Amino acid sequence: MAQELKSINLVAPAFKGINTEDSPLAQDPSFAEIADNAVIDKRGRIAARKGHSVITTNKTELGSGIIRAIKEFDRSVGSNVILSVGNNKIFTGTTTLTDATPGGYTITADNWKIVNFNDKAYLFQASQAPLVYDGTSVVRLDSVAGAAGVVQGNEVLSAFGRLWVTGVSSNPSIIYWSDLLIGHDYSGGTSGSIDISKVWPDGYDEIVALAAHNGLLIIFGKHSIVTYSGAEAPATMALADTVAGVGCVNRDTVQYTGTDVLFLAHTGLKSFGRTVQEKSLPISSLSGNISKDIIASLQNETQFFRSIYSPEEGFYLLTFTSQDMTYCFDVRGTLENGSYRVTRWPSTTFASFTRLNDGTLYIGTSNGISTYTGYSDNNVSYRFKYYSPSLTFGDSSRVKILKKLKPTLVGANDATVFMKWAYDFDTTYATAEFTVGTQITGFYGLSEYTTVEFTAGQLTNQRSLNTTGYGTSVQVGLESEINGFALSLQEINVMALIGKLL
Amino acid sequence: MGPFPTVQPPVEEESTSGFFDFLGGLTDFLGNNTSVLPGVLGGLLTGEAYGRLSDVGKEARMGADELAQRQLEMSQFKPFTVTTATGSGFGSMMGADGGLQTTMTLSPEEQALQQQLFGGAGDFFGQATQPTAEREQEIFQRMRTAMSPEEQRQRLEQEQRMAAQGRLGVRTAQFGGTPEQLALAKAQEEARNSAMLGAMQQARQEQMQQAALGQQFLGAGYMPQQQLVAGLQPGLTQQQLEQQSRQFGSGMFGEATMSGLEAMLSSEMARANLLGGVGANLLSGAVTPKPAFGMSDLLGLLGKG
Repeated sequence: MAQELKSINLVAPAFKGINTEDSPLAQDPSFAEIADNAVIDKRGRIAARKGHSVITTNKTELGSGIIRAIKEFDRSVGSNVILSVGNNKIFTGTTTLTDATPGGYTITADNWKIVNFNDKAYLFQASQAPLVYDGTSVVRLDSVAGAAGVVQGNEVLSAFGRLWVTGVSSNPSIIYWSDLLIGHDYSGGTSGSIDISKVWPDGYDEIVALAAHNGLLIIFGKHSIVTYSGAEAPATMALADTVAGVGCVNRDTVQYTGTDVLFLAHTGLKSFGRTVQEKSLPISSLSGNISKDIIASLQNETQFFRSIYSPEEGFYLLTFTSQDMTYCFDVRGTLENGSYRVTRWPSTTFASFTRLNDGTLYIGTSNGISTYTGYSDNNVSYRFKYYSPSLTFGDSSRVKILKKLKPTLVGANDATVFMKWAYDFDTTYATAEFTVGTQITGFYGLSEYTTVEFTAGQLTNQRSLNTTGYGTSVQVGLESEINGFALSLQEINVMALIGKLL
Repeated sequence: MGPFPTVQPPVEEESTSGFFDFLGGLTDFLGNNTSVLPGVLGGLLTGEAYGRLSDVGKEARMGADELAQRQLEMSQFKPFTVTTATGSGFGSMMGADGGLQTTMTLSPEEQALQQQLFGGAGDFFGQATQPTAEREQEIFQRMRTAMSPEEQRQRLEQEQRMAAQGRLGVRTAQFGGTPEQLALAKAQEEARNSAMLGAMQQARQEQMQQAALGQQFLGAGYMPQQQLVAGLQPGLTQQQLEQQSRQFGSGMFGEATMSGLEAMLSSEMARANLLGGVGANLLSGAVTPKPAFGMSDLLGLLGKG
């Protein structure tokens, strides 16, 4: 007697992102074991990320270097200028990278932090004389007329009408603030400093990063956080709160989301909630589904941490440059456990980011400056991967015999798709390949129907693939080279026979 | 006071006898020479009167000198002493050189007290003349010692507040530290300055007080002497009364003696005048021609006959 096929519909698979923390067998099918080069699209589906398009056409000055930092110099008069650094140089421009390094000034590292302040851009990194760009040229900050007490800090914050500098190697617990609206004066007017070595909640720490949020000056140590209120008048600002045991790994992981401040701690991505009413700092773990992975990544990082928040894309990107790994956190909402939905972008060569005022996301690579757009990495394809957790169909004691896989794809024009499955945690996958083929959005292929008014967006493609093998748990996956077209995975319908008890 | 001396008038008998002896001889001569005799006799009488006036002047001068000597002796200062009830004494005597010597002697108790007061005055004046810087510093230190605990408490309270506010490490170009630290430091420095000025003022006041005390002690040191002098007043009064009495007696003596001398002078002058008048008449009669002048006439002139 023929047995009834049991249908398990994986609707919007992986819309909760990766989860490598929970046991695969106990996981919600909405999680993914692997979601590479993927994002959660606007409809909550897992989809291929966008690629990047290099806009730099002349990178002679960059040479074999990599753009390690990008910043839009936002000035009140005239068009904005893109500043970038790489190959131990300071560049201006995007299509042509023009060396703006001051004459006679030797740069030994590209770990600059660039901030806008009072119609100037300031560049700071450890053990390097700070620089300032006024829209005309980059000069040493201490050479500016009236400059005094300039310190060589690694972190700089533009907030409360001042520049706040810290990360001086000889005084890792001191924050210096400039005179009001004067970014080059640190010993006159209302400038000053604060040594918070006696403030750390657990005795000792070193300042890593600064942030300003909700009227608070947030000071990130390596393993503790201190906040001050009233930083508008630094001489009278007062301690508002301290958090022990949570710090910031790197200054370049701090991003503002408007309602929160995101930063990478040693235990993963963290955020501040609003604290005005609560008078405390509840810290939620935003990378709870990949804690071990991200901790391993930050521990193995030997170069730079880079991050960006894009409200337009709805994600926070965190890149470990030496491992060429980027984690994409969907910031539009959190899961039940308070975590962001997260996907991975491996091997992107992304080395730096910045978001322009118009929302454009700039990416720094060895090719210069790119925009986050399109669906190829500068005309090179990248592979989108999705793998489900191991599925037991509600009964881990019975054998499952896969009969069919029916993926529903959105987009993926002319893409070759590989459907994969494996049983019982095997890492050797069986594969069924199919090509979506060229999809024409016009009706009947007639030109009169290909006009804009009839192009109804991306097309949906459904396939039914026969499968083989059996096992108590099943893992299914989908891979596809992304080369010019978007791809979203709407659902995967798994048809299986439920066998005997083992 | 000794008895008043008496001035003896010259012995009249001796002069009268000599004179009449002279007149006897003259009579004899005149009896023999009746024309020359009146002239000679008149000249002799006039010379006698002149000599007598000279003698009486000398005798008056001698009497006056003797009187002056006697009055000097009678009005000589008499040494005296005064002893007060507290045992101090005052003495006044003539020295070996004739000068007047005055001594005042305090009792041993008063001398001890005076020495003590003078010593205290010296000490106070010595302190008052010392520079005040050291005393100012001493007062300032004592004031600071009194103020320091409170200041320390204020500093600790502020430090605790600053620590609670996480602001211990604040350094500003505007205030140095925090505004509160500046305010406290300013207040404490102002208090310190006030203490310094107060110490200076106090030192000066003490200096003035030392000077005043020295003055008081000095004045008090002379108090036994002043009291001695005050106690001397009744004795002096007594001595003055005695002196006045002696001077009065001396004056009376002088006046009485001078009265005698004046009487003697008047008598002698009258006799001399009389004798001179007789002589003058005789001389006048001798040189003026007139009837014979008998001895009886002459004797009638002289009142003898």
